[in-house]
Amino acid sequence: MENLCKYLSCCFSCGEDSSSQAIDSNERTHLLVDPVINNTSIQRVHSDDYLPCDSSLPKKTDEQSALNRILQETATNVIDVAALGSHNLEQHEYLERTNYYTAKLSTLAKWSFLKNPPSLLVDIPVPEKVLSASPISSLDLDLMNIAVEKAVNALLDLKLEPGEDLVVPFRIP
Amino acid sequence: MAEEVRKYLFDLLFKVDGLYCILITDRDGVAVIKVATEKTPEMAMRQPFLSAFSMATDQGSKFGLGKNKSIICMYGNYQVVQINDLPLVITFIGSQDCNTGHVMALKEQISPLLQELKKSVVES
Repeated sequence: MENLCKYLSCCFSCGEDSSSQAIDSNERTHLLVDPVINNTSIQRVHSDDYLPCDSSLPKKTDEQSALNRILQETATNVIDVAALGSHNLEQHEYLERTNYYTAKLSTLAKWSFLKNPPSLLVDIPVPEKVLSASPISSLDLDLMNIAVEKAVNALLDLKLEPGEDLVVPFRIP
Repeated sequence: MAEEVRKYLFDLLFKVDGLYCILITDRDGVAVIKVATEKTPEMAMRQPFLSAFSMATDQGSKFGLGKNKSIICMYGNYQVVQINDLPLVITFIGSQDCNTGHVMALKEQISPLLQELKKSVVES
């Protein structure tokens, strides 16, 4: 009987401990874990720049920098239609830049990279020689014509004769 | 020496039927070099028109589709092809029935020239 009581009390105490632990963990755990960690890390990083005794000033600047960072990220991600309006350069700035570019262009001396890609048709240096060469003899021409005709006729006569059945039954019992 | 570049670009210009103008500008629309025929509309070569592309390509890169590379605008009489190669912008202006694919392919032939020009372009 004593053993049973001890066992029950132990069980009760264990249950109580586990429940109290659960309550503790609920109280101590943060719902927003990551932002808190991030904030502390930001403060640590930025507070290095300041004196450790001055505590109030770094907090404000840290908040400000964090807010600025959020603002910048938002600005880079949001499509800003209002920013699409064209901005005009001042006339003198435009002229300055144009002059600058023309001056730079004239100083760059190496334009060897400007080569047209090789074309399929290559120029013949002395076309007269090629054009004035004697044509091939009529016998050769006839030979070529006859050979080509024979080849064409052979291709046209090409037929496929079925030697076996197209459908082959498998030997399935 | 700039004349050689101009000649090279003119050769490219005449290769594509209906292409009127090739402009290489900085991001603010200031021309670094340009070759144009008489048929090019004057308004399309002005700085405010050309500079609108750099902002449009910046905003267009935020759609979640990746970085915007080029913008093709078809008008009633003309087409304007602008290619993003920041800090440089290449602008082709041609007729409305000009072969757009052919125009886009010209970029490959200009790329060595662009590499050289990038060294002389100011970052603004």
